Amino acid sequence: MESDTLQIALGLRQGDVVVLEALVERYQYRLVRYLIYLLGRRDGVDDLVQETWLRVLERGGSYDGHSRFEPWLFRVARNIALDAMRKRQTLSLDSDDEDGRVRPSAASSEPSPYTLAARTEDAERLSLSLQTLEPVYREVLVLRFQEDLSLREISVVVGAPVSTVASRIYRGLATLRPQFEGETA
Amino acid sequence: MNIDHHENFQRMIDESLAGAISAERECSLREHLDTCSPCQEYLSASNRVIAGLGGFSFEVNPTLNAKVLAGLRLRAQQVRAERAGRRRWSLISLAAAVLTMGGSFVDLQFGRLIAAAFDIQRTQVQQGLLVFWIVPSLCVLLLFPLLPLLSQAGTHREERIL
Repeated sequence: MESDTLQIALGLRQGDVVVLEALVERYQYRLVRYLIYLLGRRDGVDDLVQETWLRVLERGGSYDGHSRFEPWLFRVARNIALDAMRKRQTLSLDSDDEDGRVRPSAASSEPSPYTLAARTEDAERLSLSLQTLEPVYREVLVLRFQEDLSLREISVVVGAPVSTVASRIYRGLATLRPQFEGETA
Repeated sequence: MNIDHHENFQRMIDESLAGAISAERECSLREHLDTCSPCQEYLSASNRVIAGLGGFSFEVNPTLNAKVLAGLRLRAQQVRAERAGRRRWSLISLAAAVLTMGGSFVDLQFGRLIAAAFDIQRTQVQQGLLVFWIVPSLCVLLLFPLLPLLSQAGTHREERIL
């Protein structure tokens, strides 16, 4: 594992496009999924993915290869997503109509990305709750149970103490669990 | 009391799923689960949440990879050009520093010999070295690091005009 991550680090330091292409192939879906969980919407995710990979190329030298690549990648994506969300908020305040009204959000009437992506009955049951769950809880749930990151790795991604990450996982599970309580699997 | 007892073990189930439980507590949890049906149900519901999270399949725009790779190739070329430019500036600055020190060294070590060889005064040698060697290389040393910044500022101004 270590030699693999060291090779990635070396490739990123040299700005090796072949290494980057392999990383895009390997992590693209996971990056898209993480950003959908973080943002709770599908629109704008492709732009963020593109921006994330460009940032990986430009700042790849800061990845040392001594830890797994995924937490570092998700951390980069998270920073870009948060910047975009801040800009979006500023823009929505600046882009009111001339009569002073704020345009209604187009996303509100669209089906949630979770409803569209649900492929099992359990996933369908979770999709509504996921849409209303706060992003900080959705984020740790996908990182822990889909990406299989450790608490320490998740704390690196979200920039919060391990104890906070653990609490968020417990609360996230507690919010979703009632969907399946009182039933046998 | 009994509710607290279950809450403790359900908390341990959460810790176990989050990967935050010690081996000892995990062992005690397993023993408890063998005999406690409310806690088994709690674990089963938690496992269904986790399984449910794995039941989503998000569609990736089929053109996204191609777009990302094209953008990366273009940016990689730019980054390489920027790096080569920075390396060039560094080498020129290093050469200028060596020349400046070399001029001072020649003045100190060989000033007298040169003055005697050309039958001129030592101060004339010093002035000659200063004017034709040390000051020009010092100017290059001081100005070259500023040139990339000046050229960037020029580029930005052009972009704004365009």
